[in-house]
Amino acid sequence: MASAVMASCKTPSRIVLSPVASASKQPQQVSPNRFQQLKLAVLSLQRQHGGKAAAVAAGLVAASWGASPLPALAAEIEKAALFDFNLTLPAIASEFLLLMVALDKIYFTPLGKFMDERDAAIRAKLGDVKDTSSEVKQMEEQAAAVIKAARAEISAALNQMKKETTAELEGKLAEGRKRVEAELAEALANLERQKEDTIKALDSQIAALSDEIVKKVIPAP
Amino acid sequence: MNVIPCSINTLTGLYNISGVEVGQHLYWQIGGLQVHAQVLITSWVVIAILLGSVTLAVRNPQTIPADGQNFFEYLLEFIRDLSKTQIGEEYGPWVPFIGTMFLFIFVSNWSGALLPWKIIQLPHGELAAPTNDINTTVALALLTSMAYFYAGLTKKGLSYFGKYIQPTPILLPINILEDFTKPLSLSFRLFGNILADELVVVVLVSLVPLVVPIPVMFLGLFTSGIQALIFATLAAAYIGESMEGHH
Repeated sequence: MASAVMASCKTPSRIVLSPVASASKQPQQVSPNRFQQLKLAVLSLQRQHGGKAAAVAAGLVAASWGASPLPALAAEIEKAALFDFNLTLPAIASEFLLLMVALDKIYFTPLGKFMDERDAAIRAKLGDVKDTSSEVKQMEEQAAAVIKAARAEISAALNQMKKETTAELEGKLAEGRKRVEAELAEALANLERQKEDTIKALDSQIAALSDEIVKKVIPAP
Repeated sequence: MNVIPCSINTLTGLYNISGVEVGQHLYWQIGGLQVHAQVLITSWVVIAILLGSVTLAVRNPQTIPADGQNFFEYLLEFIRDLSKTQIGEEYGPWVPFIGTMFLFIFVSNWSGALLPWKIIQLPHGELAAPTNDINTTVALALLTSMAYFYAGLTKKGLSYFGKYIQPTPILLPINILEDFTKPLSLSFRLFGNILADELVVVVLVSLVPLVVPIPVMFLGLFTSGIQALIFATLAAAYIGESMEGHH
Protein backbone atom coordinates (compact mmCIF):
# COMPACT_ATOMS: atom_id res chain seq x y z
CA MET A 1 0.00 0.00 0.00
CA ALA A 2 2.82 2.34 0.90
CA SER A 3 4.42 1.67 -2.46
CA ALA A 4 1.18 2.66 -4.13
CA VAL A 5 1.25 5.97 -2.30
CA MET A 6 4.86 6.49 -3.24
CA ALA A 7 4.08 5.74 -6.84
CA SER A 8 1.37 8.33 -6.92
CA CYS A 9 3.78 10.78 -5.37
CA LYS A 10 6.40 10.31 -8.05
CA THR A 11 4.19 11.84 -10.72
CA PRO A 12 5.74 14.92 -12.32
CA SER A 13 4.35 18.30 -11.59
CA ARG A 14 2.38 18.69 -14.79
CA ILE A 15 0.12 15.67 -14.46
CA VAL A 16 -3.38 16.70 -13.47
CA LEU A 17 -4.12 15.01 -10.22
CA SER A 18 -6.43 16.65 -7.75
CA PRO A 19 -6.01 15.85 -4.06
CA VAL A 20 -9.44 14.38 -3.96
CA ALA A 21 -8.66 12.07 -6.83
CA SER A 22 -5.46 10.89 -5.17
CA ALA A 23 -7.38 10.31 -1.98
CA SER A 24 -10.08 8.32 -3.68
CA LYS A 25 -7.47 5.98 -5.15
CA GLN A 26 -6.60 4.81 -1.65
CA PRO A 27 -8.78 2.03 -0.26
CA GLN A 28 -10.07 1.94 3.31
CA GLN A 29 -7.23 -0.10 4.87
CA VAL A 30 -4.83 2.84 5.23
CA SER A 31 -2.49 3.19 8.16
CA PRO A 32 -3.92 5.63 10.68
CA ASN A 33 -1.59 8.62 10.29
CA ARG A 34 -2.83 12.18 10.17
CA PHE A 35 -2.91 12.70 6.44
CA GLN A 36 -4.51 9.41 5.66
CA GLN A 37 -7.23 10.14 8.18
CA LEU A 38 -7.74 13.47 6.56
CA LYS A 39 -8.00 11.92 3.17
CA LEU A 40 -10.52 9.41 4.49
CA ALA A 41 -12.57 12.26 5.83
CA VAL A 42 -12.33 13.95 2.48
CA LEU A 43 -13.40 10.79 0.76
CA SER A 44 -16.48 10.36 2.94
CA LEU A 45 -17.28 14.04 2.45
CA GLN A 46 -17.08 13.60 -1.26
CA ARG A 47 -19.39 10.62 -1.11
CA GLN A 48 -21.93 12.63 0.82
CA HIS A 49 -21.82 15.92 -1.05
CA GLY A 50 -20.43 15.02 -4.45
CA GLY A 51 -18.36 17.58 -6.34
CA LYS A 52 -18.87 20.39 -3.87
CA ALA A 53 -16.60 18.62 -1.42
CA ALA A 54 -13.59 19.14 -3.65
CA ALA A 55 -13.02 22.70 -2.57
CA VAL A 56 -13.58 21.88 1.09
CA ALA A 57 -11.22 18.97 0.87
CA ALA A 58 -8.56 21.02 -0.79
CA GLY A 59 -8.94 23.61 1.95
CA LEU A 60 -8.56 20.94 4.63
CA VAL A 61 -5.49 19.52 2.99
CA ALA A 62 -3.96 22.96 2.57
CA ALA A 63 -4.70 23.81 6.19
CA SER A 64 -3.22 20.63 7.56
CA TRP A 65 -0.17 20.83 5.31
CA GLY A 66 2.49 21.71 7.85
CA ALA A 67 5.97 23.21 7.81
CA SER A 68 8.01 20.12 7.00
CA PRO A 69 8.03 19.59 3.21
CA LEU A 70 10.00 22.67 2.15
CA PRO A 71 13.18 20.98 0.84
CA ALA A 72 11.15 18.62 -1.30
CA LEU A 73 9.08 21.55 -2.55
CA ALA A 74 12.26 23.34 -3.54
CA ALA A 75 13.22 20.27 -5.55
CA GLU A 76 9.89 20.40 -7.34
CA ILE A 77 10.40 24.07 -8.19
CA GLU A 78 13.89 23.38 -9.50
CA LYS A 79 12.35 20.90 -11.86
CA ALA A 80 9.97 23.61 -12.97
CA ALA A 81 12.83 25.70 -14.42
CA LEU A 82 12.29 28.73 -12.23
CA PHE A 83 15.97 29.66 -12.31
CA ASP A 84 16.38 29.35 -16.02
CA PHE A 85 18.79 32.05 -17.14
CA ASN A 86 19.12 32.69 -20.84
CA LEU A 87 19.07 35.45 -23.45
CA THR A 88 15.96 36.94 -21.76
CA LEU A 89 18.24 38.61 -19.22
CA PRO A 90 20.26 40.77 -21.62
CA ALA A 91 17.12 41.32 -23.71
CA ILE A 92 15.25 42.75 -20.73
CA ALA A 93 18.30 44.78 -19.72
CA SER A 94 18.56 46.38 -23.15
CA GLU A 95 14.80 46.92 -23.25
CA PHE A 96 15.09 48.67 -19.92
CA LEU A 97 17.90 50.90 -21.14
CA LEU A 98 15.94 51.80 -24.27
CA LEU A 99 12.88 52.52 -22.16
CA MET A 100 15.01 54.71 -19.92
CA VAL A 101 16.31 56.73 -22.85
CA ALA A 102 12.82 57.03 -24.35
CA LEU A 103 11.19 58.06 -21.08
CA ASP A 104 14.00 60.54 -20.49
CA LYS A 105 13.39 62.06 -23.93
CA ILE A 106 9.61 62.31 -23.68
CA TYR A 107 8.94 62.49 -19.96
CA PHE A 108 11.63 63.20 -17.39
CA THR A 109 13.63 65.91 -19.12
CA PRO A 110 10.86 67.87 -20.91
CA LEU A 111 8.33 67.76 -18.12
CA GLY A 112 11.01 68.38 -15.50
CA LYS A 113 12.24 71.41 -17.44
CA PHE A 114 8.68 72.62 -17.89
CA MET A 115 7.96 72.26 -14.18
CA ASP A 116 11.19 74.01 -13.21
CA GLU A 117 10.46 76.90 -15.56
CA ARG A 118 6.95 77.23 -14.22
CA ASP A 119 8.34 77.13 -10.71
CA ALA A 120 10.79 79.90 -11.54
CA ALA A 121 8.05 81.97 -13.19
CA ILE A 122 5.78 81.60 -10.17
CA ARG A 123 8.63 82.54 -7.88
CA ALA A 124 9.41 85.61 -9.98
CA LYS A 125 5.75 86.62 -9.92
CA LEU A 126 5.65 86.14 -6.18
CA GLY A 127 8.72 88.36 -5.86
CA ASP A 128 7.02 90.97 -8.01
CA VAL A 129 3.98 90.84 -5.82
CA LYS A 130 6.14 91.39 -2.75
CA ASP A 131 7.78 94.42 -4.44
CA THR A 132 4.44 95.94 -5.36
CA SER A 133 3.35 95.52 -1.80
CA SER A 134 6.13 97.93 -0.76
CA GLU A 135 5.00 100.22 -3.58
CA VAL A 136 1.49 100.04 -2.29
CA LYS A 137 2.76 101.02 1.15
CA GLN A 138 4.56 104.00 -0.31
CA MET A 139 1.44 105.06 -2.15
CA GLU A 140 -0.59 104.66 0.98
CA GLU A 141 1.84 106.95 2.76
CA GLN A 142 1.51 109.46 -0.04
CA ALA A 143 -2.23 109.25 0.17
CA ALA A 144 -2.06 109.79 3.92
CA ALA A 145 0.17 112.84 3.39
CA VAL A 146 -2.21 114.23 0.77
CA ILE A 147 -5.16 113.71 3.07
CA LYS A 148 -3.27 115.39 5.93
CA ALA A 149 -2.41 118.38 3.75
CA ALA A 150 -5.97 118.65 2.53
CA ARG A 151 -7.23 118.51 6.08
CA ALA A 152 -4.81 121.25 7.15
CA GLU A 153 -5.87 123.39 4.19
CA ILE A 154 -9.50 122.88 4.94
CA SER A 155 -9.09 123.66 8.59
CA ALA A 156 -7.10 126.81 7.73
CA ALA A 157 -9.80 127.89 5.30
CA LEU A 158 -12.41 127.12 7.90
CA ASN A 159 -10.60 129.19 10.50
CA GLN A 160 -10.23 132.10 8.16
CA MET A 161 -13.86 131.91 7.18
CA LYS A 162 -14.83 131.80 10.81
CA LYS A 163 -12.68 134.85 11.50
CA GLU A 164 -14.15 136.72 8.57
CA THR A 165 -17.65 135.88 9.53
CA THR A 166 -16.97 136.92 13.08
CA ALA A 167 -15.53 140.23 11.94
CA GLU A 168 -18.47 140.85 9.67
CA LEU A 169 -20.89 139.99 12.41
CA GLU A 170 -19.11 142.26 14.84
CA GLY A 171 -19.18 145.11 12.32
CA LYS A 172 -22.87 144.63 11.80
CA LEU A 173 -23.39 144.45 15.52
CA ALA A 174 -21.45 147.65 16.11
CA GLU A 175 -23.37 149.42 13.39
CA GLY A 176 -26.65 148.28 14.83
CA ARG A 177 -25.57 149.37 18.28
CA LYS A 178 -24.51 152.75 16.95
CA ARG A 179 -27.82 153.21 15.24
CA VAL A 180 -29.69 152.21 18.35
CA GLU A 181 -27.61 154.59 20.40
CA ALA A 182 -28.28 157.42 17.94
CA GLU A 183 -31.97 156.69 18.05
CA LEU A 184 -31.82 156.53 21.79
CA ALA A 185 -30.02 159.85 21.96
CA GLU A 186 -32.54 161.38 19.63
CA ALA A 187 -35.41 160.02 21.66
CA LEU A 188 -33.80 161.33 24.85
CA ALA A 189 -33.36 164.77 23.25
CA ASN A 190 -37.00 164.76 22.19
CA LEU A 191 -38.02 163.78 25.66
CA GLU A 192 -35.88 166.55 27.12
CA ARG A 193 -37.42 169.13 24.80
CA GLN A 194 -40.89 167.95 25.59
CA LYS A 195 -40.07 168.16 29.27
CA GLU A 196 -38.83 171.73 28.88
CA ASP A 197 -41.91 172.66 26.89
CA THR A 198 -44.10 171.14 29.49
CA ILE A 199 -42.23 172.88 32.28
CA LYS A 200 -42.52 176.13 30.35
CA ALA A 201 -46.24 175.59 29.90
CA LEU A 202 -46.56 174.63 33.51
CA ASP A 203 -44.71 177.78 34.54
CA SER A 204 -47.15 180.02 32.64
CA GLN A 205 -50.07 178.07 33.98
CA ILE A 206 -48.64 178.37 37.48
CA ALA A 207 -48.29 182.10 37.03
CA ALA A 208 -51.89 182.33 35.80
CA LEU A 209 -53.09 180.11 38.58
CA SER A 210 -51.23 182.04 41.23
CA ASP A 211 -52.67 185.23 39.85
CA GLU A 212 -56.13 183.78 40.13
CA ILE A 213 -55.44 182.59 43.66
CA VAL A 214 -54.14 185.95 44.56
CA LYS A 215 -57.26 187.56 43.09
CA LYS A 216 -59.49 185.19 44.99
CA VAL A 217 -57.69 185.46 48.30
CA ILE A 218 -57.22 189.08 48.20
CA PRO A 219 -60.57 190.52 47.37
CA ALA A 220 -60.48 193.11 44.89
CA PRO A 221 -60.70 196.36 46.25
CA MET B 1 7.21 8.21 5.99
CA ASN B 2 5.25 8.95 2.89
CA VAL B 3 3.58 11.96 4.45
CA ILE B 4 5.91 14.54 2.95
CA PRO B 5 5.93 13.38 -0.67
CA CYS B 6 2.20 12.96 -0.54
CA SER B 7 1.61 16.44 0.70
CA ILE B 8 3.89 17.62 -2.10
CA ASN B 9 1.77 15.68 -4.47
CA THR B 10 -1.28 17.32 -2.98
CA LEU B 11 0.35 20.67 -3.56
CA THR B 12 1.15 19.95 -7.17
CA GLY B 13 -2.41 18.76 -7.50
CA LEU B 14 -3.52 22.15 -6.22
CA TYR B 15 -1.31 23.84 -8.77
CA ASN B 16 -2.88 21.84 -11.49
CA ILE B 17 -6.52 22.34 -10.64
CA SER B 18 -5.89 26.04 -10.29
CA GLY B 19 -4.08 26.17 -13.60
CA VAL B 20 -0.88 27.57 -12.18
CA GLU B 21 2.12 26.82 -14.32
CA VAL B 22 5.20 27.53 -12.28
CA GLY B 23 8.42 27.73 -14.20
CA GLN B 24 6.88 26.80 -17.52
CA HIS B 25 8.17 28.92 -20.34
CA LEU B 26 7.41 29.54 -23.97
CA TYR B 27 10.78 29.36 -25.68
CA TRP B 28 11.84 31.27 -28.76
CA GLN B 29 15.11 30.51 -30.48
CA ILE B 30 17.11 33.58 -31.40
CA GLY B 31 20.45 32.83 -33.05
CA GLY B 32 20.87 29.55 -31.25
CA LEU B 33 19.99 31.08 -27.90
CA GLN B 34 16.71 30.76 -26.06
CA VAL B 35 14.49 33.46 -24.66
CA HIS B 36 11.37 33.32 -22.54
CA ALA B 37 8.86 34.64 -25.02
CA GLN B 38 6.09 35.26 -22.48
CA VAL B 39 8.37 37.60 -20.51
CA LEU B 40 9.35 39.54 -23.59
CA ILE B 41 5.74 39.86 -24.77
CA THR B 42 4.47 41.16 -21.44
CA SER B 43 7.44 43.50 -21.09
CA TRP B 44 6.62 44.94 -24.50
CA VAL B 45 3.06 45.50 -23.37
CA VAL B 46 4.31 47.18 -20.19
CA ILE B 47 6.68 49.40 -22.17
CA ALA B 48 3.90 50.25 -24.61
CA ILE B 49 1.58 51.19 -21.73
CA LEU B 50 4.25 53.40 -20.19
CA LEU B 51 5.31 55.16 -23.37
CA GLY B 52 1.73 55.54 -24.59
CA SER B 53 0.32 57.01 -21.39
CA VAL B 54 3.31 59.32 -20.94
CA THR B 55 3.12 60.53 -24.53
CA LEU B 56 -0.61 61.17 -24.26
CA ALA B 57 -0.37 62.99 -20.97
CA VAL B 58 2.77 65.08 -21.42
CA ARG B 59 2.61 65.78 -25.18
CA ASN B 60 1.46 69.36 -24.72
CA PRO B 61 2.12 70.57 -21.18
CA GLN B 62 -0.15 73.29 -19.81
CA THR B 63 0.74 75.82 -17.16
CA ILE B 64 -2.26 74.72 -15.14
CA PRO B 65 -2.02 70.92 -15.40
CA ALA B 66 -5.08 68.86 -16.29
CA ASP B 67 -5.76 65.26 -15.21
CA GLY B 68 -3.08 63.19 -16.96
CA GLN B 69 -0.40 65.84 -16.84
CA ASN B 70 -1.19 66.43 -13.18
CA PHE B 71 -0.72 62.75 -12.43
CA PHE B 72 2.58 62.53 -14.26
CA GLU B 73 3.82 65.74 -12.64
CA TYR B 74 2.97 64.26 -9.27
CA LEU B 75 4.82 61.10 -10.27
CA LEU B 76 7.87 63.03 -11.39
CA GLU B 77 7.93 65.00 -8.17
CA PHE B 78 7.62 61.76 -6.23
CA ILE B 79 10.57 60.25 -8.12
CA ARG B 80 12.64 63.41 -7.74
CA ASP B 81 11.89 63.48 -4.06
CA LEU B 82 12.86 59.83 -3.69
CA SER B 83 16.12 60.36 -5.60
CA LYS B 84 16.92 63.52 -3.69
CA THR B 85 16.36 61.83 -0.36
CA GLN B 86 18.61 58.91 -1.23
CA ILE B 87 21.29 60.46 -3.44
CA GLY B 88 21.52 64.02 -2.19
CA GLU B 89 21.91 67.27 -4.07
CA GLU B 90 23.45 65.69 -7.20
CA TYR B 91 20.38 63.58 -7.86
CA GLY B 92 19.51 65.22 -11.19
CA PRO B 93 21.23 62.86 -13.68
CA TRP B 94 19.88 59.80 -11.85
CA VAL B 95 16.21 60.71 -12.03
CA PRO B 96 15.68 58.87 -15.37
CA PHE B 97 17.28 55.68 -14.06
CA ILE B 98 15.44 55.63 -10.73
CA GLY B 99 12.21 56.76 -12.34
CA THR B 100 12.31 54.18 -15.11
CA MET B 101 13.19 51.51 -12.56
CA PHE B 102 10.20 52.44 -10.42
CA LEU B 103 7.75 52.83 -13.28
CA PHE B 104 8.81 49.67 -15.10
CA ILE B 105 8.64 47.49 -11.99
CA PHE B 106 5.43 49.09 -10.77
CA VAL B 107 3.58 48.76 -14.06
CA SER B 108 4.96 45.23 -14.51
CA ASN B 109 3.76 44.14 -11.08
CA TRP B 110 0.36 45.70 -11.46
CA SER B 111 -0.05 44.35 -14.95
CA GLY B 112 0.39 40.89 -13.49
CA ALA B 113 -2.34 41.60 -10.97
CA LEU B 114 -4.75 43.63 -13.09
CA LEU B 115 -4.45 42.69 -16.76
CA PRO B 116 -6.31 39.53 -17.78
CA TRP B 117 -3.27 37.86 -19.31
CA LYS B 118 -4.80 34.41 -18.95
CA ILE B 119 -7.28 35.15 -21.71
CA ILE B 120 -4.44 34.77 -24.19
CA GLN B 121 -3.49 31.12 -24.44
CA LEU B 122 0.12 30.30 -25.20
CA PRO B 123 1.27 26.95 -26.58
CA HIS B 124 3.39 26.48 -23.47
CA GLY B 125 3.68 28.50 -20.31
CA GLU B 126 1.47 31.50 -19.62
CA LEU B 127 1.60 35.26 -19.65
CA ALA B 128 2.24 36.92 -16.30
CA ALA B 129 4.03 39.92 -14.88
CA PRO B 130 7.51 40.29 -16.40
CA THR B 131 8.92 40.61 -12.88
CA ASN B 132 7.62 37.09 -12.32
CA ASP B 133 10.71 35.82 -14.15
CA ILE B 134 14.13 35.69 -12.54
CA ASN B 135 15.77 36.93 -15.75
CA THR B 136 13.97 40.27 -15.49
CA THR B 137 14.74 40.86 -11.85
CA VAL B 138 18.38 39.84 -12.23
CA ALA B 139 18.71 42.10 -15.27
CA LEU B 140 17.35 45.04 -13.29
CA ALA B 141 19.54 44.23 -10.29
CA LEU B 142 22.68 43.95 -12.44
CA LEU B 143 21.85 47.27 -14.09
CA THR B 144 21.58 48.75 -10.61
CA SER B 145 25.00 47.33 -9.74
CA MET B 146 26.50 48.81 -12.87
CA ALA B 147 24.79 52.11 -12.14
CA TYR B 148 26.28 52.45 -8.70
CA PHE B 149 29.73 51.43 -9.89
CA TYR B 150 29.45 53.98 -12.70
CA ALA B 151 28.25 56.64 -10.25
CA GLY B 152 31.12 56.02 -7.85
CA LEU B 153 33.82 55.83 -10.53
CA THR B 154 32.72 58.98 -12.36
CA LYS B 155 32.41 60.89 -9.11
CA LYS B 156 35.63 59.83 -7.44
CA GLY B 157 37.74 58.07 -10.04
CA LEU B 158 39.81 55.13 -8.88
CA SER B 159 39.76 56.35 -5.29
CA TYR B 160 36.22 54.93 -5.31
CA PHE B 161 37.78 51.54 -4.55
CA GLY B 162 39.14 53.02 -1.36
CA LYS B 163 35.71 52.41 0.14
CA TYR B 164 36.52 48.69 0.29
CA ILE B 165 38.98 49.27 3.12
CA GLN B 166 36.75 51.70 4.95
CA PRO B 167 36.53 51.97 7.89
CA THR B 168 39.20 49.28 8.35
CA PRO B 169 40.94 46.84 5.96
CA ILE B 170 39.61 43.96 8.05
CA LEU B 171 36.22 44.56 6.47
CA LEU B 172 37.58 44.07 2.94
CA PRO B 173 35.99 40.65 2.38
CA ILE B 174 32.64 41.84 3.69
CA ASN B 175 32.78 44.93 1.54
CA ILE B 176 33.52 42.84 -1.53
CA LEU B 177 30.78 40.44 -0.56
CA GLU B 178 28.35 43.32 -0.41
CA ASP B 179 28.75 43.91 -4.13
CA PHE B 180 27.39 40.42 -4.69
CA THR B 181 24.70 40.41 -2.04
CA LYS B 182 23.21 43.68 -3.22
CA PRO B 183 22.04 42.50 -6.66
CA LEU B 184 21.24 39.08 -5.23
CA SER B 185 18.93 40.44 -2.56
CA LEU B 186 17.40 42.99 -4.94
CA SER B 187 16.54 40.42 -7.58
CA PHE B 188 15.36 37.67 -5.27
CA ARG B 189 13.23 39.97 -3.18
CA LEU B 190 11.32 41.22 -6.20
CA PHE B 191 11.11 37.85 -7.91
CA GLY B 192 10.00 36.00 -4.79
CA ASN B 193 7.42 38.55 -3.80
CA ILE B 194 5.75 38.76 -7.18
CA LEU B 195 5.81 35.04 -7.83
CA ALA B 196 4.51 34.22 -4.36
CA ASP B 197 1.86 36.86 -4.72
CA GLU B 198 0.51 35.47 -7.96
CA LEU B 199 0.66 31.92 -6.62
CA VAL B 200 -1.23 32.82 -3.47
CA VAL B 201 -3.95 34.56 -5.43
CA VAL B 202 -4.29 31.76 -7.96
CA VAL B 203 -4.31 29.00 -5.38
CA LEU B 204 -6.84 30.86 -3.27
CA VAL B 205 -9.04 31.49 -6.30
CA SER B 206 -8.92 27.81 -7.09
CA LEU B 207 -9.98 26.91 -3.55
CA VAL B 208 -12.68 29.54 -3.00
CA PRO B 209 -13.54 31.26 -6.25
CA LEU B 210 -15.66 34.05 -4.77
CA VAL B 211 -15.11 36.94 -2.34
CA VAL B 212 -12.41 35.34 -0.19
CA PRO B 213 -9.49 36.02 -2.59
CA ILE B 214 -10.38 39.71 -2.89
CA PRO B 215 -8.51 40.88 0.26
CA VAL B 216 -5.51 38.84 -0.87
CA MET B 217 -5.71 40.46 -4.29
CA PHE B 218 -5.68 43.90 -2.69
CA LEU B 219 -2.80 42.81 -0.51
CA GLY B 220 -1.09 41.71 -3.74
CA LEU B 221 -1.57 45.13 -5.31
CA PHE B 222 -0.18 46.72 -2.16
CA THR B 223 2.82 44.39 -2.09
CA SER B 224 3.49 45.01 -5.78
CA GLY B 225 3.59 48.76 -5.25
CA ILE B 226 5.76 48.40 -2.18
CA GLN B 227 8.19 46.14 -4.02
CA ALA B 228 8.57 48.65 -6.85
CA LEU B 229 9.17 51.39 -4.30
CA ILE B 230 11.68 49.27 -2.38
CA PHE B 231 13.61 48.38 -5.51
CA ALA B 232 13.80 52.00 -6.68
CA THR B 233 14.65 53.28 -3.21
CA LEU B 234 17.40 50.73 -2.69
CA ALA B 235 18.85 51.40 -6.14
CA ALA B 236 18.93 55.11 -5.33
CA ALA B 237 20.40 54.39 -1.90
CA TYR B 238 23.21 52.27 -3.40
CA ILE B 239 23.99 54.99 -5.94
CA GLY B 240 23.97 57.63 -3.23
CA GLU B 241 26.15 55.49 -1.01
CA SER B 242 28.81 55.07 -3.70
CA MET B 243 28.74 58.80 -4.47
CA GLU B 244 29.00 60.12 -0.94
CA GLY B 245 32.47 61.09 0.22
CA HIS B 246 34.04 58.78 2.76
CA HIS B 247 35.93 60.20 5.66
